[in-house]
Amino acid sequence: MEGLFYNVSNGYIEGVVRGYRNALLTGQNYNNLTQCETIDDVKLQLGPAYGDFLASLPPNPSTSALADKTTEKLVAEFRYLQANATGSLAKFMEYLTYGYMIDNVALLITGTLHERDTRELLERCHPLGWFETMPVLCVATNIEELYNSVLIETPLAPYFKGSLSHHDLDELNIEIVRNTLYKNYLEDFYQWVNTHPDVKGTPTAEVMSEVLEFEADRRSINITLNSFGTELSKQDRKKLYPNFGKLYPEGVLLLSRADDVEGVRLAVDGVSEYKTFFDQTGLSQGSGGAVSNMAGGAGGETKSLEDLFYQKEMEISKLAFTRQFTHAVVYAWVKLREQEIRNITWIAECIAQNQKERIGNYISVF
Amino acid sequence: MATTAAFKDRQFIAVIGDEDSVTGLLLAGVGHVTSPPDSQKNFLVVDQKTETSAIEHAFDRFTTERKDIAIVLINQHIADRIRHRVDTYTAAFPSVLEIPSKDHPYDPEKDSVLKRVRRLFGE
Amino acid sequence: MSGSAASKLPPARESVFPTRQMLGQMKSKLKGAQTGHDLLKRKSEALTKRFREITRRIDEAKRKMGRVMQIAAFSLAEVTYAVGGDIGFQIQESAKSARFRVRTRQENVSGVLLPRFEAFQTDGNNDFQLTGLGKGGQQVQRCRETYARAVETLVELASLQTAFVILDEVIKVVNRRVNAIEYVIIPRTENTIKYIMSELDELDREEFYRLKKVSAKKERDAQVAEKERLDKADDARAAAEADRAVETKDVLGEGENEDVIF
Repeated sequence: MEGLFYNVSNGYIEGVVRGYRNALLTGQNYNNLTQCETIDDVKLQLGPAYGDFLASLPPNPSTSALADKTTEKLVAEFRYLQANATGSLAKFMEYLTYGYMIDNVALLITGTLHERDTRELLERCHPLGWFETMPVLCVATNIEELYNSVLIETPLAPYFKGSLSHHDLDELNIEIVRNTLYKNYLEDFYQWVNTHPDVKGTPTAEVMSEVLEFEADRRSINITLNSFGTELSKQDRKKLYPNFGKLYPEGVLLLSRADDVEGVRLAVDGVSEYKTFFDQTGLSQGSGGAVSNMAGGAGGETKSLEDLFYQKEMEISKLAFTRQFTHAVVYAWVKLREQEIRNITWIAECIAQNQKERIGNYISVF
Repeated sequence: MATTAAFKDRQFIAVIGDEDSVTGLLLAGVGHVTSPPDSQKNFLVVDQKTETSAIEHAFDRFTTERKDIAIVLINQHIADRIRHRVDTYTAAFPSVLEIPSKDHPYDPEKDSVLKRVRRLFGE
Repeated sequence: MSGSAASKLPPARESVFPTRQMLGQMKSKLKGAQTGHDLLKRKSEALTKRFREITRRIDEAKRKMGRVMQIAAFSLAEVTYAVGGDIGFQIQESAKSARFRVRTRQENVSGVLLPRFEAFQTDGNNDFQLTGLGKGGQQVQRCRETYARAVETLVELASLQTAFVILDEVIKVVNRRVNAIEYVIIPRTENTIKYIMSELDELDREEFYRLKKVSAKKERDAQVAEKERLDKADDARAAAEADRAVETKDVLGEGENEDVIF
């Protein structure tokens, strides 16, 4: 039923996004890219897909310049969609940008803490996370002012309120701040897709729940793995886990008690997908220390847990396109494009640095 | 020649480099910021916008002013920008080392020390 | 000293009085200079050997550095890939206290003190342990280790390079000394000795000639004296005879005596 009127307001955007999706690089394209000898060849290969955006690059551009230009295209397309979006889709796309906003605000917090000129930081901010009032934040000279302006000026206020005070910004590690915000953001997004009258019960809610649950689990697992051997206490760690997802609540509880990789493994045992990930990577992952990567990271043969998570995310995103009448395609498209940019950067990096043996490490789902 | 006292306190590694090099080296743990109020960093990030005079200033600070630096690492392409300074720098402490950067592979032809090596052997 | 003049002219000699004592001194000086020359030459050779070895190792190490740094840069690319963004700024801002430091030690090579940097990592303070907490943390830690290894290589190279600079300086000084002894001090001392010798010979010859002259003169004087003595004796005898004759005459005829002219 819900599909009946979807096209009235959102049909155009869905159509455009599906068009964009078809423009994504395919396995064949990637194959061609990996055969390139120079960055210029890469540029040439990307010509059909990126065209104008790469035209202004100098011969043999640096990989970061290439990444910047490809991101530019994503941003331009996203902006176009956003301009055409109405109603719940507009709100949905706003939610999409919050994740990047969190990164930007974290950057500004770091800058303010160290008394840098935050205006210089603006250009380092992720363009998708740009919001109109962001330059206002740069006026703040101390952390309390910044905190207040964040509360007033940004859509992120609810994520700060209640869980972070301006003292926390000063004292806590910026990574903890960032992850706290991200947790609140995920929970809020999750709640929104499941309660908003226009979205509730639609394929959007269905797909997005899956995506967000996965994202939440991924973060929980990563935070746990990365916190071993650091000063992050178990209580503090527990606060960073989003309160939903496939692992919630039993798995999260187990995660919060985990002391080592084995503990994490036990915690995820209940979810077969994650269990297979752990089986595939073996246990050497989290301990990290003993990995010998003198020869260009010789551990490249087995995929790392993060790679597998990315792979999974891409598959979920790809499947999102099998559904119709859903906002989720926008989300999926952004994620796919981000991965594509990462892939291009990776391949370019491998070529630029003559590390061809690991060039196949990209993730392609088409 | 350096006396014992001159290098006993030298224990830091200073870096002048592009963002990636500095990030990597900082990750390795070489970064040090002296205690406030003057809080001096022992690293400098150089990009296209950085003035050559700023690089020279940092180079002088690391090599002559500060007495706690044992090694100065500098990206080769940045060393090129202040080549005359690097080439005329002959003191043993701190030791100045030209390192490659991600976008500029190492060129032994330009290295001031290797140039001296070649000159000595008349190649 | 007559430095500049000495270099153009055949090596000058030292301004000494050509005495036998000085000759002895000069001879021992020459001997000392030769021993010193030999020793310095040997030192210079030992140092040069070491120097060449270091140079070769620098060459190797610099090439190795190229590779190591590339691998390290690549691991940073992995981080960028995993984190999905730029962590540079955050890293720069969270750097506080160096975990990776160097210690300097000395090594004695043929009397030259060469410094040796030694990398060590202080425990405890890790400024970046939470970097990439949400994602990419494992890559960040791995990258850290790769870079730490790269920096170790760099530190090694730095000690080689410092040794190179110092040795270069020392060898130059030693060689300068060797050359100074070989081309200035020894020839000059030799010259001085030659000068003293020739001067002494000259003196000897002069003395001999003088003695000869003196004895010749003495002989001549002696002859003259002898002749005079003989002449005197003759005169005396003749005078006595004449005296006797005049006396007898005078006694006889007083007034008609004429002046006797001899």
